[in-house]
Amino acid sequence: MPSFRNEVMPVLSRAGCALGTCHGNQNGKGGFRLSLRGQHPDQDLVTLTRSLGSRRVDLLRPQNSLLLRKPLMDVPHEGGKRFEQTSTEYQTLLTWIAMGMPADSENTPALIGLNVSPEASTLLGSDRQQVLEVVAEYSDGSSRAINHLAVFESSNPAVVVSPDGTVAFAESEFTQQTSVTVRYQQLQAVSTVDHVPKRDGFRFQSPQPNNEIDTLVFSQLQRLRINPSALCDDTVFLRRLYLDLTGRLPTPEQARRFRGSGEPGRRAALIDELLASADFADVQAMRWADLLRVEDKTLDAKGVQIFYHWIREQVASDRPLNEFAAELIAARGSTYSSPPTNFYRALRKPEERAEATAQVFLGIRLQCARCHNHPFDRWTQDDYYGWTGFFSRIDYKILENRRRDSNDKHEFDGEQIVFMKEDGETANPGTGQIAALRFLGNEHPQVTTPIDDSERDRLLILADWFADPTNERFAASQANRIWFQLFGRGIVDPIDDFRSTNPAVNPPLLKLITDKFVAGGMRVRPLMRLILNSAAWQLASDENETNQFDQTLFSHAIPVRLSAEQMVDSISQVIGVTPAFGGQPAGLRAAQLPGVRNGGHRYSAPEIGDRFLRLFGKPDRLQTCECERSTETTLAQTMELVSGEMLSQLLQQQTNRLSALMASDADHRQLIQELWWAALTRAPTEAEVDAMLAHLQSSADLRQALEDIIWALVNSNEFLIRR
Amino acid sequence: MQHKSISLSRRALLSVGGQGLLGMTLPKLLQAEEQSPSADSRPRAKRVIFLFQWGGPSHVDTFDMKPDAPDGYRSLYKPVSASVPGMHVCEHLPRMAQVMHHFAQLRTVHHGMNNHNSAGYTALTGVEPPIDDQRLRESLDLFPGYGSVVDTVAPNTNGMPTYVSYPHQIADGSTTPGQRASFLGKQHDPLFFQDDPNAPDFSLPQLSLPQNLSLDRLSSRRGLQQIINRQTAQLEESAVAQGLNSFYSRSLEMLGSRQIRAAFDLSEEPQVLRDAYGRTTYGQGCLLARRLVEHGVKFVSVYFSRSIGGRSKTDGGWDTHGFDDTRMYEILPEWHLPLTDQTLPTLVQDLSDRGLLDETLVVWMGEFGRTPKINKNVSRDHWPQCYTVLMAGGGVTGGAVYGASDRYGAVPDRDPVTMGDLAATLYHALGIDHTMEVHDNLNRPLPLARGRAISEIFG
Repeated sequence: MPSFRNEVMPVLSRAGCALGTCHGNQNGKGGFRLSLRGQHPDQDLVTLTRSLGSRRVDLLRPQNSLLLRKPLMDVPHEGGKRFEQTSTEYQTLLTWIAMGMPADSENTPALIGLNVSPEASTLLGSDRQQVLEVVAEYSDGSSRAINHLAVFESSNPAVVVSPDGTVAFAESEFTQQTSVTVRYQQLQAVSTVDHVPKRDGFRFQSPQPNNEIDTLVFSQLQRLRINPSALCDDTVFLRRLYLDLTGRLPTPEQARRFRGSGEPGRRAALIDELLASADFADVQAMRWADLLRVEDKTLDAKGVQIFYHWIREQVASDRPLNEFAAELIAARGSTYSSPPTNFYRALRKPEERAEATAQVFLGIRLQCARCHNHPFDRWTQDDYYGWTGFFSRIDYKILENRRRDSNDKHEFDGEQIVFMKEDGETANPGTGQIAALRFLGNEHPQVTTPIDDSERDRLLILADWFADPTNERFAASQANRIWFQLFGRGIVDPIDDFRSTNPAVNPPLLKLITDKFVAGGMRVRPLMRLILNSAAWQLASDENETNQFDQTLFSHAIPVRLSAEQMVDSISQVIGVTPAFGGQPAGLRAAQLPGVRNGGHRYSAPEIGDRFLRLFGKPDRLQTCECERSTETTLAQTMELVSGEMLSQLLQQQTNRLSALMASDADHRQLIQELWWAALTRAPTEAEVDAMLAHLQSSADLRQALEDIIWALVNSNEFLIRR
Repeated sequence: MQHKSISLSRRALLSVGGQGLLGMTLPKLLQAEEQSPSADSRPRAKRVIFLFQWGGPSHVDTFDMKPDAPDGYRSLYKPVSASVPGMHVCEHLPRMAQVMHHFAQLRTVHHGMNNHNSAGYTALTGVEPPIDDQRLRESLDLFPGYGSVVDTVAPNTNGMPTYVSYPHQIADGSTTPGQRASFLGKQHDPLFFQDDPNAPDFSLPQLSLPQNLSLDRLSSRRGLQQIINRQTAQLEESAVAQGLNSFYSRSLEMLGSRQIRAAFDLSEEPQVLRDAYGRTTYGQGCLLARRLVEHGVKFVSVYFSRSIGGRSKTDGGWDTHGFDDTRMYEILPEWHLPLTDQTLPTLVQDLSDRGLLDETLVVWMGEFGRTPKINKNVSRDHWPQCYTVLMAGGGVTGGAVYGASDRYGAVPDRDPVTMGDLAATLYHALGIDHTMEVHDNLNRPLPLARGRAISEIFG
């Protein structure tokens, strides 16, 4: 007799019935609603036996049941044909209905474990199929192969997994990878499968490894028969390093000095120099300010200054990130005199605090579990509300609110006291029960030992948990974030989406940088120094035949458009004048802005610099997600660069570099040289010099002609793209 | 499916009788039944003009009047007969009355959001937000607006922008979500401007060049830029460089495009027609909408007002609570109704005269209706439980009425329409499968609309 949980529900899962687009939708489909991905089998049993019993199931003539005829497409079914009459799926359902749709008895073994093997495999050449074996373990000690009951999903849409768990790769000249998620009831397991083309005559070639990072990156590439690109040249290295660490370009003097130095250790020396620079602290502070929602509307102008400068002090002194996190979590007191309290000032509700903290400090996207058990992860609603419970007692004493718009409940202007209430719990709306406090992120969450906060307040307990250097999830998520800042992509990516079904692309590499991060006292600079000195970070973006389709394995640098702040600061640097930012002293770099001017803010028109930043993707800081920052290219952006105000104004200002150059006695050739070093960190080529000289000679107005040249420089790929 | 509602309508027609407010006459119904399903009856919209009535117009004082409702509920305005036999509209909409045969009405649109921002977002996207709160604000978690979805799944290929919106960014405190592309990415944001189409020197700022920057100079700059780009051949092949390159070309094309300039050039319109639309921001905005769709823009959103308004006879939206000692019944006939009565019939007639109406869907809707019970200020408050949305053109059956509210206009009596249904209908009209999925930032698969297209109003 088929067990409802162990056999019948899996039939519905395999047929896709309980997906969000079908009957798992909150409104169901065609009057038939199942719990999303079968997360509530008890509820679904009621639906099937009671609510639907009379309509969709015919106990006397089971084969006439709509529950069987619909998926066979005997009768019209919007979801199409789901299985054949000869399938085991059909037989299981038919038998179960014929037996009167019994519930499981108390003795029915429950699922306690799910394993897939192999966990990782690599196929070579004509060997293009991998059979996965899935074994379930039950509470009675039994285990059995359940390929016929599991659901298989491939992360790479180009790689097909059959319903019985055979992974098949199409013929290709390039390396293909996928991770297959196997689901059965409430559990998931993952198997990663790579396919490597034969590549006759392949010889692995890589630059000389500089450190342990390279060993791991290159050995993975070698296994997958991918050659990394060569090391980048000094020009590219210079620009890349300056942009990543300082958010701006090297000056012509800095560039010439570096290029002129023949010393072998010059790259390492420059890395050290820039890591110690004030510009580096600006950039790091800006990145944290993005994630910690440093924006005026909720924090007010004074709060923004106070919080931002506190953050900048922490990053300038390279405060260990576990201490940094713990201080934010434990923060309380006045938002004016105790800067870290602004973390909570920006997050007004327990759910927001819980989600933001999980996302930024643990790399976990918990949002799904607010309304239903997480479909791709193990987080349940109990986990969600148990975690949220930590944040349920934060409250605010609003000493003053001088907001301008009484309708705008996000706006606060005035001092607030962040404090812990004596009571306040979070109930799980799914059960109606108060959720017991629980940590997130350890491999074995302490679900069984309730957290006792009768002696010590719960946020101090949580702060200690974050401060604990053995908190591996915290360390891994922060190390991965540092990696992301330098490569534009995490080893786990997206960086705030750590889960078994989104595995690290190179697990030993993640382990290595996590260990190094912990060994370095959870400080940013030591790990950055290690990464920046690796050959992997210094690879060129120029691809070769074997790595041209790789976007994930760090076999070459991936070109991206400069960020909003990098654009403004680099353009300003080349032209020699800065645009105005609302409420900020003149001359401030975009990377030094403490807050953000919301484009929708209605009290005054945004200044020209603020508008430009927003257009190019500076985040509004309303989310705790790196994804809020955008490096997309849009038509509106190029329209701005072609005919917009900012560039036009900067070019025409009488105090800019152009005016100075024209006042000097440099000839046209020298002018061009100077501009090329300022904008592109190199000397112009002969073709460029000829074309520019011709342009200068054919123009009636020298100043206008030079403006045109600068426009062309700052709109060139070489300028706009970090490679 | 198509026949089901028509037969329901017939039953309702017979039973409602005395109220006389049902849109479809029997002959028209039968005619509709005969025609359906034929090739002609399918939706055939190629473009949409979406007129958003911010603040929330009263349905029971405009298109779903309840003259038999008791005192305290019944509108203080009189109903007048419309061009569809048996149909009535408000006495302050006399010109609308004459063109109602172009419009289908959805009389039972409803959702659960009581605040402007959450309701506005729901109406602009077809998706209810997690919280019904004025504090709801733009975030990449929230769903994109209809136009951005269209720009993503069915973009223009004719060189014109797919989605244009103006002349206001609506807000109630915070900017109302749903006006942009959200997680679909900035490249699907509308071409948006806040310049007043009624201003004498109206022109699109994005299309105007700064002083001393001629098209010739731009193209010479572009030439210099390309010389520099050629020095880094491999970089030019990268995805990001190719993207930039194509956007630079588009930008120059747009700046030099006569078609685009012409689309935005209201001065080409005859004075008589400009006067007919009304020399107002909304009036000229609607005229501009017609020019834009005529020149190939696919989705045009015109916002009636920037603010929810409701207290002024010269400005603002439909939020007529009667606050600050104002009175809805005094304000509407001075501002909202005459403005609507001048503009909307002109737009529909103009589209019809030019043969554009058949392939242009015009949608007129607010974020909610207003309370059936008149409040102590002799005005009405928010009412999302049931209200009326108008659609014309694009294959919609003119004069059709889908669904019916109860005797107060309080709740759907028959054939309720959810906001998901409304969104599905809109995509259906454009021939877009609304069960298609897009993925948000958490990579959750989300259908374009959760609902059922009300295909009954098409033919």
